[in-house]
Amino acid sequence: MEYIVETRNVSKKFGKETAVINLEMKIAKGEIYGFLGPNGAGKTTTIRMLLGLMKPTSGTIQLFNQNLEQNRIEILKKVGSLVENPSYYPHLTAYENLEALRKVLGVAKNRIDEVLEIVRLQDVANKKVKGFSLGMKQRLGIAGSLLHNPELLILDEPTNGLDPSGIIEIRELIKTLPSQYGMTVLISSHLLSEIDQIATTVGIVTKGQLIFQDSIETLRKYANQNVSFTVSESKKAWQLLISSGLQAELQQNRVLIQDCSDGIVAEAVRLLVQAGQAVYRVEDEKKSLEEIFLQMTKEENAG
Amino acid sequence: MIANLLTSEFLKIRRKGFWLLTFLGPFGVVALQMVNYGVRKDYLLQQSNDDWGYYLGNVHSFTPLALVLGIAILTSFMASIENETNAWKQLIALPVSKMNVYLSKFTVLACLMLFSSVLLMVFTFAFGLVLDLGSAVPYMDIVQYSFFPFLASLPILALQLWVSTVSQNQGIPITVGILGFILTYSAFFLPDWVIWKWPSLMNDANEPVQNVLLGVGVGCLLYVVGMIDFTRRDVK
Ligand SMILES: Nc1ncnc2c1ncn2[C@@H]1O[C@H](COP(=O)(O)OP(=O)(O)OP(=O)(O)O)[C@@H](O)[C@H]1O
Ligand SMILES: [Mg+2]
Repeated sequence: MEYIVETRNVSKKFGKETAVINLEMKIAKGEIYGFLGPNGAGKTTTIRMLLGLMKPTSGTIQLFNQNLEQNRIEILKKVGSLVENPSYYPHLTAYENLEALRKVLGVAKNRIDEVLEIVRLQDVANKKVKGFSLGMKQRLGIAGSLLHNPELLILDEPTNGLDPSGIIEIRELIKTLPSQYGMTVLISSHLLSEIDQIATTVGIVTKGQLIFQDSIETLRKYANQNVSFTVSESKKAWQLLISSGLQAELQQNRVLIQDCSDGIVAEAVRLLVQAGQAVYRVEDEKKSLEEIFLQMTKEENAG
Repeated sequence: MIANLLTSEFLKIRRKGFWLLTFLGPFGVVALQMVNYGVRKDYLLQQSNDDWGYYLGNVHSFTPLALVLGIAILTSFMASIENETNAWKQLIALPVSKMNVYLSKFTVLACLMLFSSVLLMVFTFAFGLVLDLGSAVPYMDIVQYSFFPFLASLPILALQLWVSTVSQNQGIPITVGILGFILTYSAFFLPDWVIWKWPSLMNDANEPVQNVLLGVGVGCLLYVVGMIDFTRRDVK
């Protein structure tokens, strides 16, 4: 597999505090990698290291199979980024802000109009950024990161401060990047719901440690489903199911069984009906990704 | 690459008052003499047989102060452009070397100061003509009084740029600027090795060129030290 980003044993210390510990991040070409973690987990620190803004205390970083420290400038020609809060020059217009970046990147002038259109800021191109709303500044930052058609796009919480329609818009945009432009995308967030909708691979970091890194499908499998039965006499029903060798759990007025293959569910229903229970509802109960995420980070804390 | 960075930097200093300050500095220095000679021209012309020389001396008495103040303000403006929204992270994540970023900032500032010096020369000469100080215009002296102080103040420029780009707290460069201003004001009483004395072009040997050579030499040294420090730091 061709990895666009590959870190080996990367750690970063600030004084005594370790913000990132032995990070082994792998991002394959064409992926949308969702980089998840609660506040202070080390997402931004990792991203800063990937961009060469900070040097790792130990470990090596490879981007496009090149060592970042030795080939920083070559590599950054192919990387677009947006780190933390958007940076901009408030006294300049949106167009001039992009022009200041374009001059350094050395791309054609018409790219400015193109990216302004992509983020739908063309109407305010000649207004000073000082007066922009947070969402507009965020979109300007995304426009800047797209200027040179990067092969790798690194976005740190890009939907921060956007309203729901703005979030959807950016999400749709990001989704199209790999297929339309062959980009690989790294997008960080502290909200699983956001990553869930676009990511193909997920990395979960907490307290500086990567505790999960796999496809989004694998993450979803962690959502070990339950089937819940709402019946007339739940306690009796629970005892019945247990005595029949099923793994059941009593929850208030419901009974949950963990193995939810069709045969087992049918068996449970038959048992309950035969015992004269009134079966009101039989429902799939999926754990939300939020719950899995919380569970994972909690397990990490406990262990 | 450095040319691209420079044009980008010149774009960024738009509407920030850089050009206005560049004009105001030399204009102010000569304007003080407009007031001075406007109020008591006859008295001043009696003070010396060398009217041009005396006039240049008067102009020069304020040049170092204007320079040191200008450097402090311009460097802190320069740093504020990137500090305001922490645009350093955006700038350094571009495919540029940090050395060239630092060099472009320094070059822009040096260009502005140089432009100020040109204006100082023009204003000094023009007002001298208005005053009708005699036909023997000391062209060489006018050039020297306009450019030597700038060259002698390069270490101050390098130091202030270094301090203002690496300080988390902008109070530090401002303090350095104010101290520098006071030291420049007291130049007469300072030993020769103090860099804030150099723009006054005074020294024990009475040799202005010595200050210029020292200024360029130590300026380069402080520039390199500041640049190395800048490149080694993590970006905020
Ligand atoms: N420059 C710094 N100096 C000292 N400590 C730092 C620095 N930058 C980050 N840290 C610490 O490193 C840890 C990780 O911070 P980081 O900004 O990477 O978190 P994050 O995952 O991006 O969080 P958030 O979701 O809030 O953006 C934090 O505990 C933070 O205090
Ligand atoms: Mg962050």
